Amino acid sequence: MSFGARISILGLAFVVLLTVLTLRLWSIQVVQASQFVEQAENNQLKVIETPAPRGEIRDRKGRLLAGTRPALAAVVDGALLPNSEDPTLEDLIQRLSAFATLPVEDVRHALDDARLRGDRITLVADLTEQQALRIVEYEEDFPAVSVLPQPVRIYPEGELAADVLGYIGDPNESDLERPDISPTDTVGRAGVERHYDDDLRGHAGKIFYRVDAQRDVINIVNEDPPEPGANLELALDIDVQRALEESLVQGLALARTSYGQPECDPVVDPACPVRAVGVVLDVTDGSVLGMASVPGYDPNIFVDGISQEEWDRLSELAVFNNFAIQGVYAPASTFKAIAYVTALEENIFPREQTPQTRTGTYFCDGQLAFAFTDGSQQVFNDWLPEGHSSVDINSALHTSCDLYFWEIALSIWTNRQRDDGAGVYAEDLLQQWAREFGFDDETGVDLPFETDGLIPDRDWFERAQRETPGLVRDGPWTGGDVMNAVIGQGSVLSTPLQLANAYAAMVNGGTLWQPRVVTAVVDQAGSVLMANEPTVLNEIDLSPQTVASFRRDLQQVVNGDRGTARSAFADFGLLVEEVGGKTGTAEVIKGDTAAEDVDSALFVGVAPISSPRYVVAVVIERGGSGGQIAAPTARRVLQFLLNGEAGMTPIVAGEEAD
Amino acid sequence: MALGTDLRPPSDPIDVLQRERTLRPDLFLVLAFLGLAVVGILMVYTASAPRLTAIGEDPASLMRRHVIFVVLGMVAFLAASLIDNRSLRLMTPLVYGAAILALALVLTPLGDFRKGANRWIALGPFQLQPSEFAKVAVILALAALLASAVDSGLKWFHIARATVLVAIPAALIFSQPDLGTMLVLIFIAAIMLFVAGSTWRQLVFLGLVAVVGSVGLFQVNALRTYQLTRLVAFLDPNADLAETALYNQLQSKIAIGSGGFFGKGLFEGTQTNLSFVPEQATDFIFTAVGEQLGFVGGTLVLALYAVVVWRLLVAAANGRDRFSQLVAVGAAAFFVFHVFVNVGMTLQVMPVTGLPLPFLSNGGSAFIAMSIALGLGHSVWMRRSPVPGERKIL
Repeated sequence: MSFGARISILGLAFVVLLTVLTLRLWSIQVVQASQFVEQAENNQLKVIETPAPRGEIRDRKGRLLAGTRPALAAVVDGALLPNSEDPTLEDLIQRLSAFATLPVEDVRHALDDARLRGDRITLVADLTEQQALRIVEYEEDFPAVSVLPQPVRIYPEGELAADVLGYIGDPNESDLERPDISPTDTVGRAGVERHYDDDLRGHAGKIFYRVDAQRDVINIVNEDPPEPGANLELALDIDVQRALEESLVQGLALARTSYGQPECDPVVDPACPVRAVGVVLDVTDGSVLGMASVPGYDPNIFVDGISQEEWDRLSELAVFNNFAIQGVYAPASTFKAIAYVTALEENIFPREQTPQTRTGTYFCDGQLAFAFTDGSQQVFNDWLPEGHSSVDINSALHTSCDLYFWEIALSIWTNRQRDDGAGVYAEDLLQQWAREFGFDDETGVDLPFETDGLIPDRDWFERAQRETPGLVRDGPWTGGDVMNAVIGQGSVLSTPLQLANAYAAMVNGGTLWQPRVVTAVVDQAGSVLMANEPTVLNEIDLSPQTVASFRRDLQQVVNGDRGTARSAFADFGLLVEEVGGKTGTAEVIKGDTAAEDVDSALFVGVAPISSPRYVVAVVIERGGSGGQIAAPTARRVLQFLLNGEAGMTPIVAGEEAD
Repeated sequence: MALGTDLRPPSDPIDVLQRERTLRPDLFLVLAFLGLAVVGILMVYTASAPRLTAIGEDPASLMRRHVIFVVLGMVAFLAASLIDNRSLRLMTPLVYGAAILALALVLTPLGDFRKGANRWIALGPFQLQPSEFAKVAVILALAALLASAVDSGLKWFHIARATVLVAIPAALIFSQPDLGTMLVLIFIAAIMLFVAGSTWRQLVFLGLVAVVGSVGLFQVNALRTYQLTRLVAFLDPNADLAETALYNQLQSKIAIGSGGFFGKGLFEGTQTNLSFVPEQATDFIFTAVGEQLGFVGGTLVLALYAVVVWRLLVAAANGRDRFSQLVAVGAAAFFVFHVFVNVGMTLQVMPVTGLPLPFLSNGGSAFIAMSIALGLGHSVWMRRSPVPGERKIL
């Protein structure tokens, strides 16, 4: 090959090399240019979020229940952390662990997290002034750590209304699926904090910095200020709430005293009274004026993050649950109100003879003997062995005579419609009426985790036999099951809120309201973003006579000679005649003797009875007899509602009565 | 008219004095050189000014230093252009010896240890980088050696001597360490051997030696960690070690890519101004071109290099003697390799190596050495055969 040829080959090869570069240049600068333009843009921007202050929560009179206060937080920027081989990282971990008094492993874990996400995490939420100064002064000792303003949630009333307010914390996995939630955010975990989280949270602001390759800030490009969250106005009244919580605490103490072991531990002792739950409703619009379950908790403990031990300790008694909507209880004799209304509306009046009037008497002698369909002879015992002598439907409610209500159930059962078309009543007539008043369904109150309770019927019974073996006995659904249901036992389950709401509908003339905790969501300027107007769930067709009769009889439960709550209200003071109610004692554990039974105590009170405004429902779990424990507890709340602060007298045990 | 009698008038007699006057510069080459130097000054300024401002220094300070080297480089170019081939060949052993000596000196305590390598000898305020000049010396030495071979082909004897000739400076440079420069020497040698008439068999043999040699380097762990990292990063961008090496190349690609077709304009490059690209006034200077002047500017710069290489190859084809021809080929190979590896690195078609971009990168020794190489190639053109008015000699 000649020299010239070799030069030519060389020239060709050099042309190829330069062409490769040109083509590559074309590909990067023309074909893929837009992608690199965007990367160059992002390269020089650093976005820092400035947290939005969470909205305030105030009671119906504008008193603060939850707010924010400005505070400084120690924030670690994952993007600026020394890399894992760098010995300064270990120094930093040790130093931060000592600084924040956190275990070394926790700090290491948090920092790893931050680096992985390239994100900022809050290491200490609420720095003291000295702490903040230390970080700022010894900047070189704390690489990647900065002190930033970060508002802190405060609950000035502490434990008060904690079940309604809820608490805030780190988002869990389902929270992260919601739009705009990042792992570094704080979200409502319970109560209205959770239900109205989207309103309360507001929108974080963003500061766009122009930075150089060392991520040093050159200037601020743009600043979107944070939008503070909206405020909530609650229907709740702090004074009512406080009266309710104090009463529940005293009621629980009374229950334990009556149990004979004031210091008993409900975790280890299955008979020890465990908690007291109460709800105060405005019967005219479904507003929740008070709601609590005791023992409670202070939501402030979540602000700095709660330790696992403390969480475990408090979780033993499930204090973070709002038992007013999450707890289900056999309503026991308070449920007789449903049978009462059913009887009046459907004209079912058990009688000894065949008198022509409603007031025809029935002899309630303490024992009911009857035959099951299969012919077997049965004897049911009234809660009071000696019985209540002669009763009609009115005095049956005053005395809480079981026999009378069993007879109602039996009447329905024996006259139920058959396949041949004979009979008068739907087999589930009682259940239908119960559902009219909101049992067996969530009330739809604006709080999370509400449960729906249970009104058993044939369908449920047979489904349970199929799907959850062991839950119910074998054999067919019988009249005996209805007799259990009619006195609020068997499988009947209700939340305290459902119970209160049903009574509200019965005394207000038949309007079943959807309970509401929040009345309005308002922005910072005070204009209403969302008005949570009273909502009617059901207009029940009740005759005015039924309503008047029910009110009168509730009043007699409290005021009548034979009333089961009479002794509990003995020292009510003024306006006792304006109070009505119904006791209930739910069997929780059947003992060998009546004295060994473990019962939950219930009472639902109404005031003023002539023109009802308030319903107070109280459940003291494993607390004993309704007339003895729950009625005096509710009494104190009703005293407050009618006679104010000064009207309240100490809670003392009433007579043991169903 | 008798046969064999040339009745045409005799061509002009060769007048030695007359010939001196026909020494005309290659305007294409000179203009391309000047163009690159001007672009270089501009780019060094735009790439260094924001950084210098940021640390509170005179933004033009680096550019002023660079201009000094450009002026010195032009003087060197002029001087090299004027050296005739015969004196050059006589000087070659001296130049080669001096280069080896300087390379050896670098490794002694006289050497200046900076940035993890012994590459410099301090000369007052400046640092001399002998390896840059060694490239020129190797071109001359190889040209002198291979010129003795005729068209009939190189003997294995020549191959062996050439290998030794390159191996000595290559080994010294490798131990600095400076893998890139060593590869330049090997590339230049391969191209010169090819043009000088080596057989395919000889080239294949040398190729095998190179492969065995590089495997050997890996085996004895002679490569520094950072060299391996860069290589691994290039071959497998997902490897963990790759992060930093890849970061530089990614930022470089972002800078060039975001320049788009027309570029962002001078001083408008955010990647350049905010120091995202490392070593931007030196090894990554092409990113400043790409970001600020776009595809248009980038291809213009590549076109200027194409002109340089084209003129050097034309000079080689017309060289007065084999020595001159090989010098021009060596110079062309020198520039092609630097341009391809450097620009290729910024475009992520080549791994990261510290080779300067001819006439653009800031760096005195490289600029002057390259100016000399270009001048030597230019000299070949000016003394080409036939010079206008002269019969072809070779």
